[in-house]
Amino acid sequence: MQPFDYLIPGDHAEASALLAAGNGRVRPFMGGTDLLIRTRGGFVRPQAVVDLKGLPGMKEIRPGDDGWLIIGAACTMNQVAMHPLVQARYDLLVQACNSVASYQLRNRATIGGNCCNASPAADTAPALYCLEAVAEIYGPQGIRRIPIAQFFVGPGKTALRSGEFLTSLHLPPSPQDARGVFNKLGRTKMGDISVVSVAVYRRSGRLADPTAPATGEWRIALGAVGPTPLRAAEAEAALMQDTSPAGIRVAAALAAAAARPIDDIRASAAYRRAMVAVLARRGIEAVLADLSAARAQLPAAGGAS
Amino acid sequence: MNHTLHFTVNGEPYEIVAASHHTLLQVLREQLALTGTKNGCEAGECGACAVLIRWPGADRFEPVNSCMVLAPEVAGAEIVTIEGLAHDDQLDPLQEAFIVTGATQCGFCTPGILINARALLDRNPDPSDAEIRAALVGNLCRCTGYIRILDAVKMAARTRKEALR
Amino acid sequence: MSQAPHHKPQLSASGRKPSLIGTSPLRIEGRAKVTGAATYVDDMPFGPALLHGMIKRSPIAHGLIKRIDVSKARALPGVRVVVTGQDFPGYTGLYLKDRRIFALDRVRYVGEAVAAVAADTPEIAQRALDLIEVEYEPLPGVFDPEFGASPAAPLVHPDLGNYECAPFIFPQPGTNISNWFKVRKGNMAQGWAAADLIYEHRYQVPHIQHVPLEPHVCVAQQDVNGKITLWSSSQSPFAQRNLIAKALNIGHSQLRVITPYVGGGFGSKAGVSIEGAAVALAMHARGRPVKLRMTREEEFYTTFVRQGLVAYIKMGMTKDGRITAVENRFYWDGGAYTEYGVNITRAAGYSGSGPYFVPNIHVDSYCVYTNHPIGGPMRGFGMAEIHFGIEQHIDQMALQLGLDPVQVRLLNCLKDGQETLTGMIMHPTGLSQCIRKAAEAIGWNAAPPPQDEKSHKRRGKGLAAMWKAPAMPPNPGSSAVVRLNEDGTATVSIGGVDIGQGAMTAMAQLAAEGLGIRVEDVRVNTVDTDYSPYEWQTVASRLTWSMGNAVLQAAENARHQILQTVAEAWGEDINDLDIVDGQVVSYRTEEARPLRDLVIYGLQRPDGTWVGGPVVGQGRFMPEYVTPLDPETGQGPRAVVHFTTGCQAVEVEVDEETGEVTVLKIVSAYDVGRAINPEMVRTQMEGGAVQGMSTALLEQIILKDGVPANPNFTDYRIATAVDAPLETENIIVEVPQDDGPFGARGVGEHPMVPTAPAIANAVYNTVGVRISSLPITGEKIWAALHPQEADPAMTPV
Repeated sequence: MQPFDYLIPGDHAEASALLAAGNGRVRPFMGGTDLLIRTRGGFVRPQAVVDLKGLPGMKEIRPGDDGWLIIGAACTMNQVAMHPLVQARYDLLVQACNSVASYQLRNRATIGGNCCNASPAADTAPALYCLEAVAEIYGPQGIRRIPIAQFFVGPGKTALRSGEFLTSLHLPPSPQDARGVFNKLGRTKMGDISVVSVAVYRRSGRLADPTAPATGEWRIALGAVGPTPLRAAEAEAALMQDTSPAGIRVAAALAAAAARPIDDIRASAAYRRAMVAVLARRGIEAVLADLSAARAQLPAAGGAS
Repeated sequence: MNHTLHFTVNGEPYEIVAASHHTLLQVLREQLALTGTKNGCEAGECGACAVLIRWPGADRFEPVNSCMVLAPEVAGAEIVTIEGLAHDDQLDPLQEAFIVTGATQCGFCTPGILINARALLDRNPDPSDAEIRAALVGNLCRCTGYIRILDAVKMAARTRKEALR
Repeated sequence: MSQAPHHKPQLSASGRKPSLIGTSPLRIEGRAKVTGAATYVDDMPFGPALLHGMIKRSPIAHGLIKRIDVSKARALPGVRVVVTGQDFPGYTGLYLKDRRIFALDRVRYVGEAVAAVAADTPEIAQRALDLIEVEYEPLPGVFDPEFGASPAAPLVHPDLGNYECAPFIFPQPGTNISNWFKVRKGNMAQGWAAADLIYEHRYQVPHIQHVPLEPHVCVAQQDVNGKITLWSSSQSPFAQRNLIAKALNIGHSQLRVITPYVGGGFGSKAGVSIEGAAVALAMHARGRPVKLRMTREEEFYTTFVRQGLVAYIKMGMTKDGRITAVENRFYWDGGAYTEYGVNITRAAGYSGSGPYFVPNIHVDSYCVYTNHPIGGPMRGFGMAEIHFGIEQHIDQMALQLGLDPVQVRLLNCLKDGQETLTGMIMHPTGLSQCIRKAAEAIGWNAAPPPQDEKSHKRRGKGLAAMWKAPAMPPNPGSSAVVRLNEDGTATVSIGGVDIGQGAMTAMAQLAAEGLGIRVEDVRVNTVDTDYSPYEWQTVASRLTWSMGNAVLQAAENARHQILQTVAEAWGEDINDLDIVDGQVVSYRTEEARPLRDLVIYGLQRPDGTWVGGPVVGQGRFMPEYVTPLDPETGQGPRAVVHFTTGCQAVEVEVDEETGEVTVLKIVSAYDVGRAINPEMVRTQMEGGAVQGMSTALLEQIILKDGVPANPNFTDYRIATAVDAPLETENIIVEVPQDDGPFGARGVGEHPMVPTAPAIANAVYNTVGVRISSLPITGEKIWAALHPQEADPAMTPV
């Protein structure tokens, strides 16, 4: 690895200034699991790395206002997946974090880094898309917040501008009766980069309130089948109308239609598209089964219908 | 750029000067001559370089791939390498089990697997077969086919439980 | 070694001393390996004088080198040596001298070494590489072995006709065929006429890599007298000494190769790959040691890969399942240099029937130069590749005829005394037993479990048999020295390498058995060619058999020396004496004396004089009966030393929607002659089966116009602990080998040979899809099950 300097900024402003002055040759550094590989391979030649992990809040998971949850960008995958507040309300994100690489790598890889690399196959992204997370960015102009779907711009490209860095991800409240399932397909059975991933999330249904609309709000996000992670809006809308087996198949097909996959060394576009339908259907079915099981455990009305 | 670092390895304090771009793996192998930690891919994929680390302020040791940690990051940390698993001449139950079950062949992946298995048993003393497999998914072994490794971890878990009784 | 008090030797109830053969003492180097104490080359200290070598590699697959300018690299501070092909123009190679340490005038694959540097730090060496300017004139490439074998293909080696080669290799000058091995036996017309079903199919096996967890690494240093020491992670310290000494025109005693523990090889560390470059650098380094260590990326395509194969198999079968004729064409993608690969082609040729009696057979096995990475030996040496087709073919034909594939195999598999395809008489073999036992253990005849109609997962079973002979020259030698120490322990010196297979432990057992001492009292040295006796190479599953013979002979020789001494000192008949549990015992007088009392200083005769002296036993072994084969027919009385045979059966689960395969169980059954250490034999079976499974389902070096697209663990996936089968069963069959130590023959490579076709057959059994190319990816199965959705251009089946 060619030499570079390792810098610890005193505060956000200094970090921002270092990154801005580096003009791309000074790289933000958190878990390093991607940067070190690319540096070793000679794909990037940083003059210096700026370790952002020590800045206030970067490694914190804390409740925000109005039931939001704030996850510091430098929190590791394991830290996120094992945190009681995440486990309590955002099981979908727990599943996604736990699907990344290996246990020891998840002790280094950070949730913020997963977003900042902007790989279309980033495993936490479909979960964050479903949860409609908001990215908080610090930069020369101060703090700004953008929806996660605007943070991903293209393969390896984010909305970060010169001198900016991701500080945290803000998760909107997720009701207790929300359910999510993350499915991914790799070449090996665990730990591979996703060939396809699909997150399915249902926010509020009639788990607690049998008079609520039968379908609730559905969200479906796809990974590794487009230049960025994608939401499958038409599939979501279809599920609002119909969650019968036939309706699930229609939604799964619409999710596949929303995919914009390419052929690469991991799989063909045709396979990826077909797998979106399979994983989406399985995800929807699993969410419904999960809800139905939860409803069966409710004391009164829920299980009867 | 060089950094003067203080940290402990296997309970012993060290003060060293390390370059910014050197990894913990390099420091252990080249500066401290702790060569039990192996370099198999330098990409965080094979697990041969796994060590246990307790970051300043953290409550427990966690496994990391030392090729993925920069030397200056470990200031103030406590590190355990394969050389630190045995106490005096007493092998860790995992080490004993690896010998008895035939879980080591060429031996190159063995230190990293032992480190990771130790971390597993420390956080989950009674793991299922599936949990052991999942915990070791980032440790590649080309010789054994893993089956004996799973047997060894289960055997060590039993030994540890009996020792607690 | 504690000085144990005199004790009665342990004899069994029958009065015979208990045998160590067939027992399973633990790996003798186990403690070193679980504590991190085992020293591999990269762990050895060389101090601050150590220079770091790196290799400048070709970015193009085929081209002429028009210019190399190393002046800027040489001028960089901290750069101590820069060498290019001009410095070492000689040819080298194991079976065919077609290769140089550095390309001289032409590069033939992406990654070929064109120059090397040695510098004070790796960082400086890397910068120096960037400063070396190389100008190429690209040439059209050969990226397909069938095309490469055709007259239309550009020549990769125009000088093929001038290369030296072993007498049993047949290059075809003026073509890209560096070896053409032929078998012509029987009458093909009659064979086809006798068949009720004739079936022909094409099978394809991609390049894969061995993936030892320890990448190639070596350190070379030249002393003031010009003598060079090479510390090398190698399966072949003696072959490296031989090939490098010849290539650099130095004496063999001027090159010393030291091999400590080796972190896996699987064939990739046989012969020579990077080591010549390290020695070349060291020869200009003014006494400083030079380390050359491959990155994982380099490991994937610049050391050795397993050759690719396109196989056409045509077989005739009667309606009751008897094979009447076979016609095979094997096009091996040998890569840019086939110095080693030519012999894989030969082995595939003389094994081209698979383990079956075939009266009429015609095999053409072509080693074809391409502009791909260098095909070298890999666990199985061509057998995994050809069996992938042969064993699917047998299944397919059996099923087409409505026959049970197991019964068809039992009907046709070679039995004692039958003629092989090259005219050799088959020695006693447990092949039928292996097939029966594997089938039984997988529950071949058991009714399939009821299928859950709602589930998309289906279960099924498959099976494949195999044979493999040690593929090597007719006369590869082994030798061993057993020295007794003052405390009565023994030190065994060998030239073969324990690359994880357990050779040191097996040799300790053989030495202990031959001497009559405890295994714990035997030390086995790692290899140093200055002190270790000669061994050809650690390949071909030959150590237990060949080196084992040498060790046993050396131990028995030492034992004889000891007993002669005692017989003379005690005035006894040597036949009344034995060594049991470290003590010489007289069955006549029941007197016992520990070895430590006599193995160095000898014994005092009754008259006060002394007899004996330091005990050093020696042994050697070399097969003396292998015959040449007719170059036109491949016929000859004894093509090989022996065949190890076996069978694997697997149970799989296939997800019909995704195509994903889960291997639930692998049963392995091999005829190992005699298991010296049954537990270690089982670990070889198990590890080989999972490696075979990994290559079956996952592995392929993706090459696009010769450029590797996945030289990393991110995209060259190998099986993990999660992918390993839920269950394995490892069955030892023992039909003794007449010239093996205690009847043993090798089994190191064989366990990964039949795994891929067994899985392919199981997939067919499960979902009715025949996958003819490796790896058997989920996508290929899905595409075959959902042809209307698949993109045929992207998913070759």
